[in-house]
Amino acid sequence: MKLKYAAALLAASVSLGAQASQSDPLESPLWDYMRQLFIGDAPYVFDDKVSVDVPEFAEDPTQVPITVNAAALSGNIQKIVTWADLNPIQHIFTYYPHPDIVPRVSLRIKVQQGSAVRAAVLTKDGVWHIGGSYLDAAGGGCTTASVGNANPYWESHLGETKSRFFPREEGGRYKFKIVHPMDTGLVDAIPEFYIEQVVVKSESGQDLAKMELSQPVSENPVITFDVRNKQSKYSVWMRDNGGNEFETAL
Amino acid sequence: MFKKIAVGISLLFLIGAAHASPLNYNLKAENVAENTWVFQGKLEDFSNLNGGNIVNTGFVVTEEGVVVIDTGPSLRYGKAMRKAIESVTDKPIKVVFNTHHHPDHFLGNQAFSDVDIQALPETGKQIAMHGNAFAENMYRLVGDWMRSTEVYLPSRPIESDHLKLGSHSFKLMSYTGHSGSDLVILDEKTGVLFAADMIFFQRALTTPHTPGLHVWLDEIAKMRDIEFSLLIPGHGPLVEDARAFDQMSAYLAWLDKVMTESAKEGLSMTEVMRLPVKPEFKDIALKRREFIRSVVHLYPKYEEKYF
Repeated sequence: MKLKYAAALLAASVSLGAQASQSDPLESPLWDYMRQLFIGDAPYVFDDKVSVDVPEFAEDPTQVPITVNAAALSGNIQKIVTWADLNPIQHIFTYYPHPDIVPRVSLRIKVQQGSAVRAAVLTKDGVWHIGGSYLDAAGGGCTTASVGNANPYWESHLGETKSRFFPREEGGRYKFKIVHPMDTGLVDAIPEFYIEQVVVKSESGQDLAKMELSQPVSENPVITFDVRNKQSKYSVWMRDNGGNEFETAL
Repeated sequence: MFKKIAVGISLLFLIGAAHASPLNYNLKAENVAENTWVFQGKLEDFSNLNGGNIVNTGFVVTEEGVVVIDTGPSLRYGKAMRKAIESVTDKPIKVVFNTHHHPDHFLGNQAFSDVDIQALPETGKQIAMHGNAFAENMYRLVGDWMRSTEVYLPSRPIESDHLKLGSHSFKLMSYTGHSGSDLVILDEKTGVLFAADMIFFQRALTTPHTPGLHVWLDEIAKMRDIEFSLLIPGHGPLVEDARAFDQMSAYLAWLDKVMTESAKEGLSMTEVMRLPVKPEFKDIALKRREFIRSVVHLYPKYEEKYF
């Protein structure tokens, strides 16, 4: 069994030109545990083709911008799992791409302390390609009450969405924002309340790209992604852990 | 043999003693104009090497007593400041001004707890609201330099726009561009302008509490009418002409333009952060770091306009 993994690993690293290495380039103390948690015993490589762009330091630990880019592996991806090793809730989102949509997504996250932030991309051959960056942070992002919690504004505006299309030379970009407190459940007497599912749909209602979000996604999420065809029309459907559904045409 | 060990041990003690020696800001009062002294901070970010001494503070000795402008980042700094003031004059301290609510400008207040400490009304409220969080963050950033530092509120709000003391007359001006409540003081006798953090020079400006870049720009345009002989910025070298105003206006206008254009193009925050800082600003300290911070502070509002 082990030999098989090693062979797969070797094949993957040769065929994709990836850097095969067992030791964590970010030297995170929780790497082995996180690996068990998110990818188990599956074969993996640390791969420069997967990038996680974060600033070197978190100016605001409740709103840290992050861009996960696996465009170099386009067409070959089953799913992308992202997490922050040292967050109390590690998982950030899982992304299932679609051929019409570039596997690159930007949003903002909460961090509790300085941490490695990872993206693990499962390609169709069953190998995980791991990218990541280190983010320095003062912390407290996950145990700070959402701004919305001190202000009843969100109660009457929950799920309100704004979006815009930005045409590019090829294809284009969508950016959308939704009003939601995204409470982590880690603040005293404020239960977790967050959007769990995001689905980009085609004009005919067919599911295209899908995202599963976790609590560390920032309050009032702003999500940016690129599409290959600027002529197509899309809509986004979301559901939170309270069962509220939100749907909007982009 | 024993001698050698003894020497070794005493050497170890010496090294230990050197490490345990109290942290010292080595504040030197610089006489920059008649009766006017300034303590110049480093062009750095807060660190446990500089103890938070990145700020310009100062004092003016009048016939009727001393006016102190800002108290620095810690109790230790406030005490060092007071000692340096006493080495220059035996006049009593008459009044201390906190120019705004940022930690490097008021956390030395404890050292002046026996004196009248004044601030703009809004500044007092901001210190009461955010002071403890700032102090906590400073302990994390600079460590033991902060020992025993606690928030000590201004004793009362400024009630007049003038203060006459001896032969000096101070004009007290209220702005908002940097922090929402910014005091600028002109000594009409000497022409020294204590611009506080309304003006940064050769050190990138910070934006965590600006009400908006346009507000700041408009106020700097107004400040250009002030006649002064020497401008003391909140951070950076002293300047006798309009260069600091020019640099502030150019940088703020550039910041506004970059974020407006980025929002129009739909850039994500990480993409904006990687944009180059205009070569014109290459000699400004901490430009990259402060640009990244400003993107976090301000970009969401720009994005909002282009949804």
